[in-house]
Amino acid sequence: MNFEAVIGLEIHVEMNTKSKMFSAAPVTFGAPPNSATLPIDLAHPGTMPTLNKQAVINAIRVCSALHMDIDHQLWFDRKNYFYSDLPKGYQITQNERPIGKNGYLFVNGEFGPRRINITRLHLEEDTAMQHHFYDYTLLDYNRAGIPLIEIVSEPEIKTGKEAADYVDKIRSIVTFTDISTGKMEEGSLRCDVNISLRPIGATKFGTKVEIKNINSINNVAKAVDYEIARQTEVLLSGKNVIQETRRYDDALKETVSMRLKTDSVDYKYFTEPNLIPVKLTEAFVADAIATCPELAEAKYARYISQLGLGEYDASLLIASKETCQYFDELVTLGAPAKIASNWLNGEISGYLNKNQISIELFPINASRMAQLLKLIDNGTISNKQGRDLFARMFESQQDPAQLASQLGMTQISDEGALLEVVTAVLNENAQSIADYKAGKDRALGFLVGQVMKRTMGKANPGLASQLVKQELEKR
Amino acid sequence: MSYLDLTIKEIHEALVAKKVTPLELVKQALERAKANTDNAFEIILDQEALAHASALVEPEIDNLLWGIPYVAKDNFSTKDIPTTGGSNILNGYVPLFDATVINLLKQKNAILIGKTTLDELAMGGTGKSGHKGKTFNPYDKTKQRMIGGSSSGSAAAVSAGIVPFSLGSDTGDSVRKPASYAGLVGVKPTWGRISRYGLFPFAPSLDHVGFFTRSAYDAAIVLASLAQSDPNDATCSQTAPENYMQSIGQSLAGKRIAIIEEIVKSKHRPEVIKAFDALVEQLKNDGAIVTIVKFRRDLLEAIFPIYITISCAEATSNAANLDGIKFGPPTWGATYEDAMRQARTAGFSELIKRRFVIGSYALLRENQDVLFLRAQKGRRLIVEQLNNIYQDHDLILAPSAPSIAPKFEDKTDQLSDEYLIADNHLVLGNFGGFPGITLPLGMLNDMPFGIHVMGRPFEEGLVLAAAQSIEKHTGLRNIIAPGEVNS
Repeated sequence: MNFEAVIGLEIHVEMNTKSKMFSAAPVTFGAPPNSATLPIDLAHPGTMPTLNKQAVINAIRVCSALHMDIDHQLWFDRKNYFYSDLPKGYQITQNERPIGKNGYLFVNGEFGPRRINITRLHLEEDTAMQHHFYDYTLLDYNRAGIPLIEIVSEPEIKTGKEAADYVDKIRSIVTFTDISTGKMEEGSLRCDVNISLRPIGATKFGTKVEIKNINSINNVAKAVDYEIARQTEVLLSGKNVIQETRRYDDALKETVSMRLKTDSVDYKYFTEPNLIPVKLTEAFVADAIATCPELAEAKYARYISQLGLGEYDASLLIASKETCQYFDELVTLGAPAKIASNWLNGEISGYLNKNQISIELFPINASRMAQLLKLIDNGTISNKQGRDLFARMFESQQDPAQLASQLGMTQISDEGALLEVVTAVLNENAQSIADYKAGKDRALGFLVGQVMKRTMGKANPGLASQLVKQELEKR
Repeated sequence: MSYLDLTIKEIHEALVAKKVTPLELVKQALERAKANTDNAFEIILDQEALAHASALVEPEIDNLLWGIPYVAKDNFSTKDIPTTGGSNILNGYVPLFDATVINLLKQKNAILIGKTTLDELAMGGTGKSGHKGKTFNPYDKTKQRMIGGSSSGSAAAVSAGIVPFSLGSDTGDSVRKPASYAGLVGVKPTWGRISRYGLFPFAPSLDHVGFFTRSAYDAAIVLASLAQSDPNDATCSQTAPENYMQSIGQSLAGKRIAIIEEIVKSKHRPEVIKAFDALVEQLKNDGAIVTIVKFRRDLLEAIFPIYITISCAEATSNAANLDGIKFGPPTWGATYEDAMRQARTAGFSELIKRRFVIGSYALLRENQDVLFLRAQKGRRLIVEQLNNIYQDHDLILAPSAPSIAPKFEDKTDQLSDEYLIADNHLVLGNFGGFPGITLPLGMLNDMPFGIHVMGRPFEEGLVLAAAQSIEKHTGLRNIIAPGEVNS
């Protein structure tokens, strides 16, 4: 029997706003435990929530990027339950009226581009961080109250690859809009996967399993694929899938059972009485969207249509917001887009991979890098010299132009000077001329190589090749 | 005679004339607080109050609260001063911040001399459910009569002449009912008029900061000091407050007053109705236009069940932070559930637990429609009816309680007419957030009984003016329980 997977994702994005969702305490990452807290974050009696405007603007922007209907009245609800990481004994969230509804995005997977509908997007607050030890638990309330957006997809995803791409698309939106660092490994983007199997053609859903604790986008795909295989095996052996919460174990490369799950949790939702419904004017919503930083999709289109990049190069650049930022800077500083893109996707990317760092830590700033690229572009130095110079720029803070001249790296692009060399080389290599005439193309390469050798590599290779050909024709 | 027996306005004049100093006032207030036998205090703040008073030297002519001693119900957060909410679960809890109202009064240099008793977490109306036991009515020397609640100690302290004003909170009638039983002016302004930041919540959609004084004019003084917007309370109004000192002087001539027939016809002591009717005649003589209006009786009878359902539902959520983990007496358990269960089992009284169970039950998925949401619907219908009345009327007038303060041992039939309507109608003001004031209407067997006047949202000025007119007719201004004044 063949099965198909029915997969829905719930993504929590931790925002990097200045202050918390309903508290004036700062949002910090990596601060000493319990240093970024106010009485409200520990739910001291009498504290009251106040709404973070930037968090609302952020949510509107993501809603817009996901083509959602935006509720112009903000309502908040209390989700009531007791847990050690939940200071108030309830979480303020949006249950009845999420700020965003009915959106979609396209994923690329085994079936080509496919539309995945998004049920809802809502605002809520994070809980305290728990550090479990052998027989005690420590609580860090720095995280308590950090703004979250939760994005819930329809159960329309079919494969691990699609699931991973869906998460990547959301990550791209929240990072390009500067809403979040979007790092799964640090928990600023968390993904819970709901997955069930059913016989192909069936309309009824199978028993659902939830997978938590997935710490990278790659592992989203791995966890889903593993779980599909596991559930298939369970079903084929005639057993039932158990409704439970599992986690993905990175070391075992398996999903592992955490706890059984029942539908019986009743969160006793009701409207938060300490926040009066807030009306969002049309102008406010429009402004939030109009002032939204450029999304990856828009950059991709612009790079191709306005900067003349190829689709492949553009797609490499938009994989990361920081790479785009660096690229945009290079172009603003006058570096030609094509060369900038080639270098970013080539030399620079190679350096970053080799050193296992991200572009933010790339030691050559955009200004110096742009100077280098311009030297290549205007023919002052050759591409090869450019690569040498690039290697030296990590040790020296000097201007690329100064450095190039110190290293004697000037390119001979003067036609008259180069013609003298070409003539001399041809005069000394009668045999090669004969070979060329006899149709041996290799002779051309040899002759150009001799020109390069005689100029100690300083000849402009394009010009050298052109002159050699031109002179050969004359003989 | 002590200056403490005077109103705020009169004490202020004496302070400005330097007939008395804040330090002398505070010393006397502390003496009276310690001598008081009504169980009004959770804590008396000797050192803090004396230090504050000693620092006040030059009177501020424009600041009517300068150097005036006051007390606050022990559900207002006070920085560095233990605050228990009348519950064992908060024994030893020392807040990290001042409630906005405490802060405002501090800025005015009013002097906090103590925190007062209350029904546990303000959830009660008898003044006997707090962790310090019963609070007594200063008018009853035999200590058989309650002062009501939940702002019991704050009412007792003003009624006994310890301080001229005090802070309370009013979720159902927790300021106005005790005011009625203790011969005081009890004010519950519009929801959102006074910041609730720092008030330990009972049911936020119904909670109000309120206060007690012994005259309508003093009520205007206190309201003028507390009514303002607050960035820490998102429900606090941005609307600028009226000039209460001015609007309290307006005449009732031409003002339209509604009397809800079903309320006055519900079961009251005949003396109460007699006094009420007499007063109405006097107001008519002042030029007020008084009309009897009708109200859906089933809705009035539903006040109490609606109130209990909504308030308990909100309360169960609000008090979920009291779990023994973050503050209050520490508890230990094998698991977090264990620790929470222990803290909450030991920390709350049976009455409170019952209310939590009721609230929780009303919020359960399978019950919400028939309980919580139905109660919300009933609340909306009631507020609609009241808004209809306010279309043609400026004020609504009613006796504030069926009679004088009941005895602790009295049994009430909770389904009786008296209980369902006469004893609960003050909650109407909490349902719609309407401003209301109770003040003394008469005396019966040496015990006071009161009248309630309620206005449109943010029209506290007219309500104060009505209170002042009533006060002139009854002559019951600045009354203090006899024998309490030990001058």
